Amino acid sequence: MSTTPAQQFLRDAAIKSADMVHREIIRRGMESYETVHLKGRARIKDWEAARQQCQEIKREAINHLDHYLLQFEEKVIARGGHVFWAADSHEACTYVRDLALRLGVRTVVKSKSMVTEEIQLGPVLEKAGIKVWETDFGEFIVQLRNEPPYHILTPCMHLTRDQIAQLFREKLAVQIESDDPGYLMTVARRKLRQAFFTAEMGISGANFLVADAGVVAISTNEGNGRLCTTLPQSHVIITGIEKVIPRLEDLAVLWPVLATSGTGQGITTYSTLIGGPRQPGEIDGPEEFHVVLVDNGRSRLLADSEQREVLHCIRCGACLNVCPVFRHIGGHTYGTIYSGPIGSVLTSHLAGVKEFKHLSYASSLCGACTSVCPVKIDLHHHLLQNRRNAVAAGSQAVSERLGFKLWRYTMLRPQVYSIAGWMMRALMRMINGLGLTATILDPMRKWNRDRAPVPLPQKSFRALWRKGLGGN
Amino acid sequence: MNAESVIFEPARNSLEQFQQECVANLTECIVTRDAQESALQLSFVLKSLPAGEIFAQDHPGLRSLIHAKTDRPIRWSSEGTPAESSQVTITLAEALIAQTGSVLVTARCGGRGGSIVAPCHIVYATINQLVPDLQTALTYLSRERKLEVNSFACVISGSSRTADIEKIMVQGAHGPRRLVVILQTKT
Repeated sequence: MSTTPAQQFLRDAAIKSADMVHREIIRRGMESYETVHLKGRARIKDWEAARQQCQEIKREAINHLDHYLLQFEEKVIARGGHVFWAADSHEACTYVRDLALRLGVRTVVKSKSMVTEEIQLGPVLEKAGIKVWETDFGEFIVQLRNEPPYHILTPCMHLTRDQIAQLFREKLAVQIESDDPGYLMTVARRKLRQAFFTAEMGISGANFLVADAGVVAISTNEGNGRLCTTLPQSHVIITGIEKVIPRLEDLAVLWPVLATSGTGQGITTYSTLIGGPRQPGEIDGPEEFHVVLVDNGRSRLLADSEQREVLHCIRCGACLNVCPVFRHIGGHTYGTIYSGPIGSVLTSHLAGVKEFKHLSYASSLCGACTSVCPVKIDLHHHLLQNRRNAVAAGSQAVSERLGFKLWRYTMLRPQVYSIAGWMMRALMRMINGLGLTATILDPMRKWNRDRAPVPLPQKSFRALWRKGLGGN
Repeated sequence: MNAESVIFEPARNSLEQFQQECVANLTECIVTRDAQESALQLSFVLKSLPAGEIFAQDHPGLRSLIHAKTDRPIRWSSEGTPAESSQVTITLAEALIAQTGSVLVTARCGGRGGSIVAPCHIVYATINQLVPDLQTALTYLSRERKLEVNSFACVISGSSRTADIEKIMVQGAHGPRRLVVILQTKT
């Protein structure tokens, strides 16, 4: 019998949350994020006003998506670029593969793009005999490990420096003398530089598509995003349709807010704008320029008036960083491309609520995600709505349905509730007394397996209340 | 009312703020009085770099600034693109931004490669190019139709970096390890 994503999730979550080494790595990473993030926020005079404005910009863009995308397309075509509208992953991958084969591409350098992970472009190109180099340092490392990114912004945050040094020793066939992060970076830089100067195609994502200027905004700290879009003969941008924004000036607030939420920086080191292929009079840049606009379920989300704002997401990763669930189970446990709170909301739409509803339940609804989201997406309420939708679709188990019927029946009848409470306390006392705690006979076993049993009160709350608890 | 002035603290003294932000984002900002001092400071920076070719944006101002001060081979942007072996690139900027301590470049500033390929990037700018904030810089790009004649523009804030390993910041990832701004107060 094959494992469902929900079963796999529970199994991995149990393992990861008990892995103290993993928890320590994530705790340290998140703590340092918190420090720089708060420092970054303090640099902005009115953070709430900044969030408000970002939300308004994205809302305007999403509500007039057709208008702004067409405006963007027109400008790109005018500069000699190409725009391809892909309904799904298959169309997007086929377009890029055929283009690469037509241009005789043998090597591709890629900068970080979650959409290329979403559409699974890498394997499609590799199958066509094209070598793909991930050039973001973190992506390069997880690519060597044959792993998906752990976090949308810091793909290898689950690894320690000695694990990375060991990986380089095994995979790069070079002498590794130290596990100093600066040294390891130099090793990777040297390896990837050969790729940059030989690749015929660069593939990147986009942080924003600017409608009025007809340019793509790409933020990169390492500069790999710059090299991917400078050296190769062709440049392909693969991005979701929701990335469009109305005006160039909107970046005056979006750029600082994205950087602050992502890494705590005032602005990303290279905040780049690219509008097309090399223009007359320019000395470099690709001859071919293609933008692939991927829908892949986004139009469905656009049609959902309750959750449309999920398309506002600028993929900063802030909601992952503050999420207590993410901090304990880590990025890979989700088993999805997008992890954390935004991933739990989004995956239900992109990959199906039936298979991935469990992610909407894997939340304490504490609302930390909503409180940090720079575009003010009401994330935890969307998780709640997903739960409601899953129930309305009748996808819950028979036992769960029966359980809730019984619970409802009891809760509406004080006498029945009182008797049930008494029975439960008596039963638990007996089980604990017989030393059967956490065994198959213990109805509380799921809790008691990993925790000290909850001490049982002698009297019910009602009895205490009658005795005078309610008097004062 | 300009919404940005509410969100971000307006710059009181642009030069001071630019210098402070440069310190924060690890840009080396050298303030000079005139072209003569700029040329001298440039020669100091060049002396600190390993031997190798210079790539420079072909511009009369830069030609006079660089020529007298170095015996390194120079490849001008009119003759090609920076080579993989170029030790340093020297370019102009479209603007400097005080709010973020940034340099705004476009394709005309030595092409796309002029600010990314070599281990060191030197920018020669004058004080009248300094704008208070991002909003002003972006408005300048639109108003001057810069993006209609350039396929590329970039707001550069510091040297290339990564914090992918254990969140430890390392300077000099794929791009320059050093970004030097020579900012001349006499225009």
